[in-house]
Amino acid sequence: MANIKLTFPSSPSSSTSMQTLLPLRAGFYGAPLLSSSPSSGHLLVPGHSSGKRYKLFVCTASSTEQPVIIGLAADSGCGKSTFMRRLTSVFGGAATPPKGGNPDSNTLISDTTTVICLDDYHSLDRNGRKRENVTALDPRANNFDLMCEQVKAIKEGRPIEKPIYNHVTGLLDPPETILPPKIFVIEGLHPMFDARVRELLDFSIYLDISDEVKFAWKIQRDMAERGHSLESIKASIAARKPDFDAYIDPQKQHADVVIQVLPTRLIPDDNEGKILRVRMIMKEGIPNFKPVYLFDEGSTISWIPCGRKLTCSYPGIQFSYGPDVYYDNEVSVLEMDGQFDKLDELIYVESHLSNLSTKFYGEITQQMLKHADFPGSNNGTGFFQTVVGLKIRDVYEALRAEEAATPLKSAKA
Amino acid sequence: MANPSSDIKEVLSQRIKEAEEVCVADSSSRECAVAWDEVEELSAEIAHKRVKQEDKKDPLEEFCKDAPEADECRVYED
Repeated sequence: MANIKLTFPSSPSSSTSMQTLLPLRAGFYGAPLLSSSPSSGHLLVPGHSSGKRYKLFVCTASSTEQPVIIGLAADSGCGKSTFMRRLTSVFGGAATPPKGGNPDSNTLISDTTTVICLDDYHSLDRNGRKRENVTALDPRANNFDLMCEQVKAIKEGRPIEKPIYNHVTGLLDPPETILPPKIFVIEGLHPMFDARVRELLDFSIYLDISDEVKFAWKIQRDMAERGHSLESIKASIAARKPDFDAYIDPQKQHADVVIQVLPTRLIPDDNEGKILRVRMIMKEGIPNFKPVYLFDEGSTISWIPCGRKLTCSYPGIQFSYGPDVYYDNEVSVLEMDGQFDKLDELIYVESHLSNLSTKFYGEITQQMLKHADFPGSNNGTGFFQTVVGLKIRDVYEALRAEEAATPLKSAKA
Repeated sequence: MANPSSDIKEVLSQRIKEAEEVCVADSSSRECAVAWDEVEELSAEIAHKRVKQEDKKDPLEEFCKDAPEADECRVYED
């Protein structure tokens, strides 16, 4: 089916107009398209011929040279999160905030990758949320039409004027220009909440921190602050939990990879959360994504690498691997409990895993050493985050190869 | 001129007190959740800024942390 794009000359395009900030239900149709997506081949027609207001903002992308769109769901706020730094590092270069722009911008830009924070799509600022009595976790505090429109624009190779949510003031600042990069990461609370945005994602990850680990991490993060106490930290987690469970947690079922972080089972009552049990839950049947496996794909394995060939310090390392069902999806789960203490352990483990998507022997070890001072560098969080970075590289290269093989798809009628 | 970092910490302190008060009446109310959500947002931002400050010791070091392969970050052994 030919790829047809029609733009109406009188409508502002979403790339330059301030109107992107208006709620789309006010009648602004963004960039109206009569287009077909190459993958599904269906036709989308804005319904304004009958004079009726077009209520449903339809949003699917269609073009070649598409940036690869990655979604990352995490409750740790945005910014220079460790996961992002590892990811951008796989592709090379440092990710920094946009130069010369708003110093409170949440965006990170490297040579290949741009990471935006989905808080920028809050429809209600801090005062607004107080007034309407909703948390930031509530979908009512977020403008999914705008998120959808702008992610689609990036996917189609068009720049966007994206609002900035200022976490210091709690206000929405004037927008910043974002140019389409090779890899576009949307990070935040709701990357997989809206079905239209989900359709635009080429790969998605959900970082699932268990309550005990969340508590331990927040104690480390907040106890030094005046005003905070164990009780206030506990109360904060508990008060947010209903909204978190209702709106954020269900996104897990849509993720291609879930990284689940739990307390260790190797030490009884390790309540400092230092030793972690990390599970990488990988969906089967996702295009361009080969789940990692141990020894024999599809079988169930339990593996303790420490022994005669490898000496580990307490509490050691334990792996397990096997197939499972997760929210009605076929998955493979690779689990690591414990801690790396030495380089040898890291390279030993790497050399025994399969489908890691490394380009050379020791690539994961090298990446982990490069960032030895990052949190999680000695356990499954750092290890699996690095693996996910390589999996994203696979998706990126596969999509580029597909495009190279079919250059005539974008011919206009 | 106001120090922005102590401002936000002041605000955090106040909001924690407010949240504790709001939740005394009904700890499962929406008002309670909204109050603690604001505390969470502020705490996250303070922690984020703190990490940024720690990193800021030497701009070159900070840059090289993320891009050790860059020309500026090359290390020579004589």
